[in-house]
Amino acid sequence: MTTPVVRKPRSTWTPAQIALTLVAAALSLVWLAPLAWALSTSLKTPTESVLSPHWIPDDLTAESWRAVLDAGNIPNWFVNSLVVSVCVTFLVLLVASLAGYGFARTEFRGKPVLLALTMAGLMFSPAVLGVPLFTTVQSLGMVDTYWGMILPQCAPAAMVYILYKFFQSLPKELEEAAFIDGAGRWRIFFTIVLPLSKPSLSAVGIFTFIASWNNFLWPYMVTNNPDLMTLPNGIATVQNSFGIVWPQLMAGGLIAGLPLIVVFVFFQSQIVRGVAHTGLAGQ
Amino acid sequence: MSTLVQAGALPSRTAAATDSARARWGRRFQHGGWFVAPFFVLYGLFVIVPVVRGLYLSFTDANISGEHTAFVGLDNYREALKDDLVRDSLWHSVQFTLYVVPVIVVTALLMALIAHHTVHFRWLWRLCFFAPFLLPSAVVGNLWWWLFQPTNGMVNHVLGWDTPWLTQKSTAMLAIVVATLWWTVGFSFLLYLAALQNIPRHLYEAAELDGAGSLQRLLHITVPNLRNITGLVLALQVLASLQVFDQAVVMYQFGPGPEESTRTFVQYTLEQGFTSYRVGYASAISLILFLIIAAVALGRMWLLRDREEAATR
Amino acid sequence: MGRPGLNRRQLLTAAGGLTLAGSFGFAALGKGADALAAGDRTRVRYWNLFQGGDGANQVAMVDAFREEHPDIAVKDATLAWGNPYYTKIAMAAAGNRAPDLAVMHQGRIPGFAPGRLLDPWDIDLLAEYGVREADFNPVLWRRGIVDGRLYALPLDIHVQLSFYRKDVCEKASLLDADGRLPSAGSPDDWFAILDAARGQLKKGQQTLGLHANDQNFSWWFFVAFYQQLAGTYFTDDRTAVTFDTDKATQVLEFLRKHVTEGYVTVGEADAEAFLAGSPFTWEGNWSVPYFNGEKVEYGAQPLPPVFGTPATHAESHSFILPHRSARGGAADEGAYRLAAYMVTHATTWANGGHVPAYLPTFEDPAYLKLAPQDEYSRPAMEHPATEPHIWFAGSTGVLAQRVGPVVAASNLGSARPDQAARRIKSALRQLLATRNPMDGRTAAQEAKGADA
Repeated sequence: MTTPVVRKPRSTWTPAQIALTLVAAALSLVWLAPLAWALSTSLKTPTESVLSPHWIPDDLTAESWRAVLDAGNIPNWFVNSLVVSVCVTFLVLLVASLAGYGFARTEFRGKPVLLALTMAGLMFSPAVLGVPLFTTVQSLGMVDTYWGMILPQCAPAAMVYILYKFFQSLPKELEEAAFIDGAGRWRIFFTIVLPLSKPSLSAVGIFTFIASWNNFLWPYMVTNNPDLMTLPNGIATVQNSFGIVWPQLMAGGLIAGLPLIVVFVFFQSQIVRGVAHTGLAGQ
Repeated sequence: MSTLVQAGALPSRTAAATDSARARWGRRFQHGGWFVAPFFVLYGLFVIVPVVRGLYLSFTDANISGEHTAFVGLDNYREALKDDLVRDSLWHSVQFTLYVVPVIVVTALLMALIAHHTVHFRWLWRLCFFAPFLLPSAVVGNLWWWLFQPTNGMVNHVLGWDTPWLTQKSTAMLAIVVATLWWTVGFSFLLYLAALQNIPRHLYEAAELDGAGSLQRLLHITVPNLRNITGLVLALQVLASLQVFDQAVVMYQFGPGPEESTRTFVQYTLEQGFTSYRVGYASAISLILFLIIAAVALGRMWLLRDREEAATR
Repeated sequence: MGRPGLNRRQLLTAAGGLTLAGSFGFAALGKGADALAAGDRTRVRYWNLFQGGDGANQVAMVDAFREEHPDIAVKDATLAWGNPYYTKIAMAAAGNRAPDLAVMHQGRIPGFAPGRLLDPWDIDLLAEYGVREADFNPVLWRRGIVDGRLYALPLDIHVQLSFYRKDVCEKASLLDADGRLPSAGSPDDWFAILDAARGQLKKGQQTLGLHANDQNFSWWFFVAFYQQLAGTYFTDDRTAVTFDTDKATQVLEFLRKHVTEGYVTVGEADAEAFLAGSPFTWEGNWSVPYFNGEKVEYGAQPLPPVFGTPATHAESHSFILPHRSARGGAADEGAYRLAAYMVTHATTWANGGHVPAYLPTFEDPAYLKLAPQDEYSRPAMEHPATEPHIWFAGSTGVLAQRVGPVVAASNLGSARPDQAARRIKSALRQLLATRNPMDGRTAAQEAKGADA
């Protein structure tokens, strides 16, 4: 059943392949069904959605999508999510690549201690640290601010570690050559090392963006003002005044979820590589 | 300089010019601290300070408003040991982990094998299996809350049942497990897929020449080559599952589930901190979770060290 | 193509750069798109927890206010009911980023650190906008006062009701000459009514919607019947628990019997089942607009006084001023005007099933004619059963969270009623010994006004 791909190009539809493809198709169908149901619900009228369940709406309407977009909250949260995720991604890339490079290529007093401290950070998460992290941010006066959402997401020990490993694996010759030509450390970093690191940086960037876009727990803790909420947080805590209207709930969910899925369709291989690379780096 | 030599197992180079450049290169390294400074400012503020603060708070009766804080010694810890809800919620998180991790690992491996071995539409399988991972947890929670509705949800519609999934104790946790499997299996699937693609092709070709059947190749080449990645997937899943929060609270509207059967440990910590306003007590019980997570992480490191030593003979 | 040098990559880079710059710019401004759009009108941020029919009525009331006060931009936000809402309010107030005005259940006031997380109302300013103490039921008004200052401005009283379908009851000849259901004076009476109605049902229909597995409803119903037995919780000085486990067991057995005798299908969507022909359901009065929307002839009474004294669970939606270090100014004034407007223009609210707190509305002939409100509004105001007035009580508060699941467990049979009663008592003891995290004092110390 698990024939590796060593077949000649002509005979690809072997019985084994047909069987495998059928299994894959069946599994994919199961995995897509919830999304299809959400889409179908979002196109029903509220009354139809709670009548006897069925896949094809009798009365196809985009009313719920329009209502969700008009209500103003979701577009507003969309902007907030974008602001937070973009800032987080940029800052993480900057901070983590600098630190990774610093650990991989430079020497300074206390480096082993700091490196160990960073490694220890792999064990902390907002889930464990939530309450004291909140009081810390509170005492900095950053509750209900964009910075309160952004900055605590910008100290990812894991990303530093991944980039540290990556910079260690880069051959030194190029940097040395540039150094002999009189370039300084910072210039070498920005003009030679960073361009060489694009695959790793985009992996870290993609992973960070997804994580930040979908981050629920921390924004949930630190924002109370619905004006400032991100999509996941807003969707979970702010309710429609008119009660649970399933079609609207599903339309809102799809609006929150679709952008990343669309991006995924277009940049599939990069994202797959990015996620796998970032994940595998933990090995 | 010495670290430079250790770290870079460079092929031996001869030019004297390079040597002197290396020497200068080494001297300039002294200022490398600036590279890590921005990270450590943020890390200090948002990891180290909270850790220390959490430890301090756990010995106080601090509340959310930050006023009237008094030192209470070990009271919080003493209370935690007697608190039934600490025990129950910890059990729920562990229970969730025990259910969800094996299911995810097996499903992810199966999906990866399928996607790896099919010749046609691989991009499509990859898209279908991975797409749910891109949804925010709140969306996943709302979605499955809807899908599990007893009379008009998809699950009962497809199965032809009328199980009240979310309102009875016996299925409440199962519902979260199903939602989580659907949502997060894509990530482990990708890791497995990448690992499968990294297995050198020639191993299979050699085995085929030796007349090994496909099952034998699976058992003797694929499975052993996936041992490392399975360790990684397991560790990542266990750590993430012990910290389960998002999908559970959204599916149960931030409540404790039927007969309080789905309140997870993180949920209980946050309830104590942000609903009962007991920041001190919440900090103390957070430490329990931290100790468990640290134990898992350190245990894995220790296992890996053994293996690395074995690998280097 | 097109202009030389402008290829796709550069375009993407430019777009990316713009997004990045825009994001940082936005983060630096730190206000959110909606606040920016409000411009320089006075912006009043108002939070509530009203959903469903309540939500729609509330939006209508806010819209009416907007029409009359075009200079004030009301930014209303509806947060998920229950705990998430109170968590958000507390944290916003603690972080000094609270909204200008919010809604809170009156029972939660003592636990919300009046003076720390809540600011008191300025009675004189309220009077300026037409809200005077004399226009309220004195008991209700007084429950909003802590240490002599008003923290909760009541909008309504809302109660748990026994809804009954007139068509089914008629067929079972249960109705009196006025077409109303006579109230049951004992558990036997009540079960006799249920039996009679059950005779008219199709197979599979439940006789009563009891929300038996819902921890909130379970607790509210318990509070009502326990009060009918004149049960108490604590001594006045809050030093001892007076909870009577015998009375509690009696109540729990009464509730449990609905399940064991098959009057109730656990897990049923009770309101929908009622609309589909089930004769009785116990719901909050907020279900009135929902049931009015369907073509069903029904009545609604307080929960049956089966233990003699009438009493049904009651809470009150009140307006509060979450704490802000700098109260006063235009936004604060806007908050007063909005709250005063809503309280004094509560006709829509009353149509939605809630009993208006503002007496001129309550006594308005038009309101008195309204059905089914006419059946329950007066008893609700006169015989409310409330949770004890103590820091851990109030809607979805610590007490409800601890005890509600115990009542539900007893309903479902996973705990025996007498066991459950003892568990409630021990939870009460524990809570009484617990210090209010807000001020470090136990309930007894708070009652005495002692320092921590």
